[in-house]
Amino acid sequence: MAARKLIAALGACALLATGCGGSAPVGAGGAAAGRDEGPVKIGALHPVSGSNAVDGQQMRRGAQMAVDAINAAGGIKSLGGRKVELITGDTQGKADIGQSEAQRLISTGAVGLVGTYQSAVSTNVAVVAERNRVPFVADVTATDAVYANGYRYAFRIQPGSAVIATAAAQYLQQVSQQAGKPVRKVAFLHEQSDFGSGAADAFTEAARGLGIEVGPDISYDATTVSDLTAQVTQVKASGADVLAVAGYYRDSLLAAKAIASVKPDLNAVWGVSNGAYDQPKFVADAGDLGALYFSTNYHYDANNPQTTALREQYQRTYGDPMRTGAVLSYDAVQVIAQAVEKAASTDPQQVRDAIAAAQVAPLTVGNGPIQFADNGDNRNALAVLMQIQDGQVKQVYPPEKAESRPEYQVTWRP
Amino acid sequence: MTNTTHGAPLAPEVSPPQTKTKAGGGFLGRAGIVGGVLVIAIVIALLRSGSGLVVWQSVVTGILTGGLYGLIAMGLTLIFGVLDIVNFAHGALLAVAMFISFGMVSATGMHPYLTLVIAIPALFLIGAAVHRGLLSGSGGKSLENQLLITLGLSLLLENGLLMFFGAEPKAIALPGDFQFPLLGAVVAGSRLYAFLGAIALGALLYWLLRRTRLGTAIRAVAANGPGAELVGINVRRIHTLTFAIGTACAGAAAALAGPLVTVTPTLGEQFNITAFVVVVLGGMGNVVGALVGGLLIGLVEQLTTIYLGGQSSLLGVFVVFILVLFLRPQGLFGRKTA
Amino acid sequence: MTTITIAGPAGAEKVKAPPLRPQNRQLAILAVLLLIAIPLPLVLPPAQGAVAVRILIFLLMAVGWNIMSGFGGMFSFGHAAYFGLGAYTSAYLLVKHDVSPWIGMVAGTAVAAAAAVLIGYFSFRYKLQGAYFALATFAFAEMLRLIVTSSDFTNKAVGFSVPLIQDSSLWMIQFPADSPAYFWVALVLAGAAVAISIVFLHSRAGKYVSAIRDDELAAASLGAPVIRHKLVTVALSAAITAVAGAFYTQYYLFVNPELGFGSAVSIQAIVPVVIGGIGTIWGPVVGAIIVGALTDVTATMLRTPPEFLSFLQGRSGLDVVLYAVLLILIVRLLPKGIVGTIAARWRR
Repeated sequence: MAARKLIAALGACALLATGCGGSAPVGAGGAAAGRDEGPVKIGALHPVSGSNAVDGQQMRRGAQMAVDAINAAGGIKSLGGRKVELITGDTQGKADIGQSEAQRLISTGAVGLVGTYQSAVSTNVAVVAERNRVPFVADVTATDAVYANGYRYAFRIQPGSAVIATAAAQYLQQVSQQAGKPVRKVAFLHEQSDFGSGAADAFTEAARGLGIEVGPDISYDATTVSDLTAQVTQVKASGADVLAVAGYYRDSLLAAKAIASVKPDLNAVWGVSNGAYDQPKFVADAGDLGALYFSTNYHYDANNPQTTALREQYQRTYGDPMRTGAVLSYDAVQVIAQAVEKAASTDPQQVRDAIAAAQVAPLTVGNGPIQFADNGDNRNALAVLMQIQDGQVKQVYPPEKAESRPEYQVTWRP
Repeated sequence: MTNTTHGAPLAPEVSPPQTKTKAGGGFLGRAGIVGGVLVIAIVIALLRSGSGLVVWQSVVTGILTGGLYGLIAMGLTLIFGVLDIVNFAHGALLAVAMFISFGMVSATGMHPYLTLVIAIPALFLIGAAVHRGLLSGSGGKSLENQLLITLGLSLLLENGLLMFFGAEPKAIALPGDFQFPLLGAVVAGSRLYAFLGAIALGALLYWLLRRTRLGTAIRAVAANGPGAELVGINVRRIHTLTFAIGTACAGAAAALAGPLVTVTPTLGEQFNITAFVVVVLGGMGNVVGALVGGLLIGLVEQLTTIYLGGQSSLLGVFVVFILVLFLRPQGLFGRKTA
Repeated sequence: MTTITIAGPAGAEKVKAPPLRPQNRQLAILAVLLLIAIPLPLVLPPAQGAVAVRILIFLLMAVGWNIMSGFGGMFSFGHAAYFGLGAYTSAYLLVKHDVSPWIGMVAGTAVAAAAAVLIGYFSFRYKLQGAYFALATFAFAEMLRLIVTSSDFTNKAVGFSVPLIQDSSLWMIQFPADSPAYFWVALVLAGAAVAISIVFLHSRAGKYVSAIRDDELAAASLGAPVIRHKLVTVALSAAITAVAGAFYTQYYLFVNPELGFGSAVSIQAIVPVVIGGIGTIWGPVVGAIIVGALTDVTATMLRTPPEFLSFLQGRSGLDVVLYAVLLILIVRLLPKGIVGTIAARWRR
């Protein structure tokens, strides 16, 4: 009867489900086997498809370049020269996919994970890493919440959102003072999710502590906004002399267009953790519109010859300038690999302890070697102030990291 | 074609443009109420933002964007008015047209507005194919099936675009884009052109429906399907043609809107929601209502940013939607069924 | 149960008086299925175990949706509202007040049912039907998402992370990563949901609801209390979907506005049911298995595609394309869904 047919159908489907998962290995036993034999596996989780695919691709390549460099230098010497292998997963920018991919990579034998770019995805991956006791070194992840959870296996290379925003406020005060136009009032335009709002809140707190007035606070929905003219007009009407912008690439580009049409009476456009204003792609897309825009963010260290060499190699191989995210992934893989070297073991818990005690020279801007605090944040992570000058993104402040001097003005006013 | 098993849809299957005799007290009264509400809304916005400039900018941007929404909604409302089909795939079709436009611009460097010449016929044909292939058979008659088929189609198109083009946002640049000031507000050239184009095409559609034989046939089918068949109109062909015209409107809107937005596969979703709200606001099946509704929703979108600080402008649109659905589901221009 | 019933697992169209389908037979089938399913997590590799849990979550959502839209004929395009309310209520109580997720689940069902009754009441009172009703439900789900995204009370866009505990705990519904306990908990929930749907369908209320779906005017004129039964249906539907949401949060240990209230969630509630058969008991089961398995199969395939499909490598969206095509084919060719068509054929 129908029930029999139903059971038959269900049975077939179950077979289908089991039969088609051939690539999945068998649990904890499989993971240990994966770690002990063959190359040392490091997992990389990035959004190589989806709306951030370009950044995801860059970061995966950066991670691969680190692996290649390590192997070229002899692999993991303390384990008899075992090679390192990068196993990759595509998070598609989605938290649940990121989680299952992380689980899959761990089952395949990853001794550590790097990733993931989106905060929501990183949150989930950190949970998986914590439960499986495998270290997770985040290359790009803005959210501070993960690192306030008391996890032992979550680490991060980039400076957190609060660190960047505080630095942005300090730099603003110092640079504007040096230029003879001390900042009075900062309008903050930001996207409304925790990325933009977190930056705005931290900036506001720091700025107020320095005696700078912050307002109005204008937020928008990054996923649906198609025009920011109305918002920028509000800025113009408010009489602020600096506009701070915290948003993703697409909406920050829209902001630049709106600013160019409305031409508010500003002394500077001040990107905070901005997804566009320190990217060469923005310079290409916006042209003259983005000239003299400032941005406080993490950045690859332009003054470090190793970084320059790495970026040149990337440009030769892939024909594209290497973004900071990719350099961060490079750093993250180096951290894990050097920890394996130090611990002389592929046991993830020992690797984790080695990471916690590590000191790794970074190719990104920092106050010193990468060194992790108890909550997993990089103590020496530093946000640097950049400005778009002559069609190039230049580091301009603090002076010891600067490539050129800041020009505190906007293009449409003298 | 009222579907009695699930209750009559409250919108009338009225011919899309209102007949001249419809005017009179009811219409003026409604216009008055809408006008009054608008004035109050603007005054409140002025108070909240404290700046006439900001409000004026919002009004200008809102009306210009609204024209575009109107064009998209016109196609949708035509499809509903004549075929009784709620086309959930309208937004996805718009996205397809935008990718076609983008493809042409990046492959041949042609002027974005020239892609109208390609996008309109392309979407016309795609619409005809969709109707013939998916919606016109017996499976497509019931309301649920239509909803599901068009939902499935929207998923298919959107994810097909995602698979083949990737989700990275793409931009269509308008050569010679400019801004000009309008009493203090800034108007982007691309937005103005889109508005003018939308109005022009809307007028063309209106002319088509009112002054041509085809248009009369369409209105006849909308008013009384079996009756139209009796007088010799090939109803099935009219259905397909109307659906195709509806999707062609989406195609035109896509070509016009290209320089205004960043092109991603999920673009269709945002426009879809807005288009439905406009259609319900204007009255399902009423083309002029769609245009007016579009302008109103454009305004609502912009004013929401002033009213509700950080909220998405979409929230204001939804509030209006819910209000209309509950208080006057036949929309501004529709008639209540008995 | 020897009286002849007219109502039965009906398809989208009216059916003639079907042969006897007593609820006991269906409950017996359910019991057998559950028994077969119990040893599954011990037999399957962990990646498939995760797929199995996801199938069960889909199943819960599908059963919930089916009650309202299949049995009740009220198409909802915004079931994410109830899923999200269940997920967020449970998460909020756990994170802020250390309340066990079981209690959170119950609270979630209450909140979701209340919301459903509210939305339903206003919709029915204002006589929203068909497409208008579907659009209204969609609008509500989206509004909830927007409100939750911007409200501090729900942690804005960050959402809630379930705090990790060291050991297994059934009370807190948290177990080690690959534990079969997740599957068994989900199985109990899903089994209960299907049992409830079976009992509901064959109950007096269920028969009224089927009658109302088929012809509301006639049912009303025969004295069926229309609005009350519609509200009961809607509330039950929301409650079951909320359970799915609450369990989801515990399994993935995280929820944010997009995951809870996004339109993808509403679609995940609809597609399995349509494929399996709207308005049938087993339709959601079959559909959930197909859709769940499909997603995993395509993901695996996209990672290492065979030669002739190598251009698909690393692309996303294939799984949705596949089930969209399946959806369209089923609606056009097998409008009663897989189970409905089999059942109809069998009846001949």
